[in-house]
Amino acid sequence: MSKYFRDIYESLSTMMTGLGITWMHMVRIRKNNVTLQYPEEKWPRPERNIGFDHSNYNVIRTRLHVDIDDCIGCLKCERICPVQCIKIVTEKAPVRGDDIKDIGHVGVTSNGSRKALVVTRFDIDMTECCYCNLCTYPCPEECIYMTGGPNADKHPIDYEFSEFDRSDLIYRFAKPGTKEGMNEVLSKDGAES
Amino acid sequence: MGVVHGEEMVLNIGPQHPSTHGVLRLKVKTDGEIISEITPVIGYLHRCFEKHCENMTYDQVIPFTDRCDYLAAMANNFGYVVAVEELMELKVPEKVEYIRVIMAELQRIASHLLALGVYGLDIGAFTPFLFMLRDRERILDMFEMTCGARLLYNYMWVGGVSHDLPKGFVETAFQFLDYFEPQIEEYNKLLTYNKIFIERTADIGVLPQDVAISYGVSGPNLRASGVKWDLRRNDTYSIYEKFDFDVCIGDGGQGTLGDCWDRYYVRMLEVKESVKILRQALAQMPKDGDVHQALPKKIRPPKGSIYSRTETPRGDLGFYIESDGSPIPTRVKMRSPAFTALSVLGELAGGWMMSDVISILGSLDIVLGEIDR
Repeated sequence: MSKYFRDIYESLSTMMTGLGITWMHMVRIRKNNVTLQYPEEKWPRPERNIGFDHSNYNVIRTRLHVDIDDCIGCLKCERICPVQCIKIVTEKAPVRGDDIKDIGHVGVTSNGSRKALVVTRFDIDMTECCYCNLCTYPCPEECIYMTGGPNADKHPIDYEFSEFDRSDLIYRFAKPGTKEGMNEVLSKDGAES
Repeated sequence: MGVVHGEEMVLNIGPQHPSTHGVLRLKVKTDGEIISEITPVIGYLHRCFEKHCENMTYDQVIPFTDRCDYLAAMANNFGYVVAVEELMELKVPEKVEYIRVIMAELQRIASHLLALGVYGLDIGAFTPFLFMLRDRERILDMFEMTCGARLLYNYMWVGGVSHDLPKGFVETAFQFLDYFEPQIEEYNKLLTYNKIFIERTADIGVLPQDVAISYGVSGPNLRASGVKWDLRRNDTYSIYEKFDFDVCIGDGGQGTLGDCWDRYYVRMLEVKESVKILRQALAQMPKDGDVHQALPKKIRPPKGSIYSRTETPRGDLGFYIESDGSPIPTRVKMRSPAFTALSVLGELAGGWMMSDVISILGSLDIVLGEIDR
C-alpha cells in the first residue's frame, strides 16, 4: 500500500521537475533555441577560409562545378569517383595549346598549361553524387570544385538546387555544340591536308 | 485462475514504422498482448557494401563506410582506416591520432545523444528528444566546420585525415564542452530519473551476461549487462592508452542488471566519459605537425589479410580485409555491432507485452544501415 502512494508521489514529483525545466526554457528563451523560419532565414554557415595556409583547401560539400575553360581532360576526377557520376569525353585538339574560336575552346588554362585535348562532354549527374569530395583533390588545374567556400569568388555557394525533373540535375559543363563543332574542325583539317 | 491461451496471431511491425529506427520488419507472434516469438526480417536497406568494395580502390571505400552506420560515420571511417593501416604496417603522425580520437569521441557523443533522445521519443517523452538534438546540432556544426559535411564525412583517410583542423576549432570544442556538461544533469532530471520512464524501462528486457556474451553482443549493450569490456581499454588501438577514463558498466540502478534502463544509462555515463577524453585530447594535442603521411598515389597494401576492430558508439566494429597486393581489396568483410544487437532481440522480447517490444528495441540502439550494409 505504501508503495502505491510512493509511486504516485514520485511520478508527480519527477513530472513536475521535468515540467519545471521545460518551463524555465520557455521563460529564458534564447535566440538560438527557437526554430528558424527556413526559406526566409537561414542558419549561418561556418566560416570557410579559416586559418588554412593555402586557400585551395575546399572544405565545403555543395554542388560540383567545373570551370570548363581550365579543364585539360585528364580524367582524374572520373577515375576517382566512387559512384561513377562524372562522364568525360575528349577529342584530340589539332594543335596543342591553340584556341579554336569556332567552338569557344581556349588553348591555355589559367595556370598556363597548354591543352592537348578538347573536352566535348563533361557531365556530372548530381542525383548520383555522394558529396565525398574525392574528385576535387586530384585535379591538377583545380577546375572542379564544390561551389562556395574558398571558391566563392569564382562561383557563389549553391546548395539548394532542387529541380522538378530528375534529368535537370545532370549538369553538362562542356560548351554546347562542342562535339559537332569539333567534328567540323577535324574534317576541315583533314580536307586541307 | 490460470493463464488462458488463445489463438496466436502474427503481427507485422514495420518496415515503415517510426519506432523501428529504419526499415526493419518485425514478425511478432502474439497471444493477445503477450509476445511469444519475435523474428526480425532484415535486408530492406541492403546496398552490397562488401561486394562494392571488391571493385574499388582502398580510398574509394571510405565514403561507403560512412553510409553503413550513418549516425556514427566518423567512427566507421576510423575503423576502416585503422584496419588498412594495420595491414600496411603504417604509422601515422601523432597529430593525426589526436584529431582522429577527438573526432571519434565527438561522434560518440552525437550518436549517443540521438540514441537517448530517440529512445525517449519511443517511450513517449518528446521534450528530451528536442533538447538532445539541439545539442547534437552543435557537434554537427563542428564537423561541418572541419570537413564541410554534417553527416557523411569522408574525413579520415588512409595515412591521415583529409585536412587539418580549422583555426579556432579547439576553442569552439572547449566552449561546447563547457556548455554541454551541465546539460547532462538536465537530461538526467528530465528523463533518466522520471518515474514514468523508469516504469517503462526498468526490469524490462533483461539481458543476462552469459546470453549477451554467447550472442556476441558488444558495446554499451554488453556493458549494461555488467561485463567490463571496452576495446578502447581491453584491446587498445590508436592512442587511447594515453587517456584516463572509466569503462562504465550497468549496475541495475533502478531494477535488474541488464534491463532497458541500464542500457540507456550506460550510454549516458559514456557521454560523460567521452567529455573527459575530449578534454584531455584537446589539451594534449600537438599544435603543429603534418596531417598526412606521405603515401604513393595508389595504395597497395602487401599481400595478406587483417582483422581489426574498433569501438564505435554501437560496439565492436570489425573489418576483415584481404589484399593481393593490388590497389583493389580482394575481400572486405564488415562485422557490425548492431547486427548482433538485433539478433539478441528474439531472446529478449519473448514473454513481454507489445508495448515493451518498442522499449526493448529502442534500448538496443540499432542502425539499419549497418545491419544490412
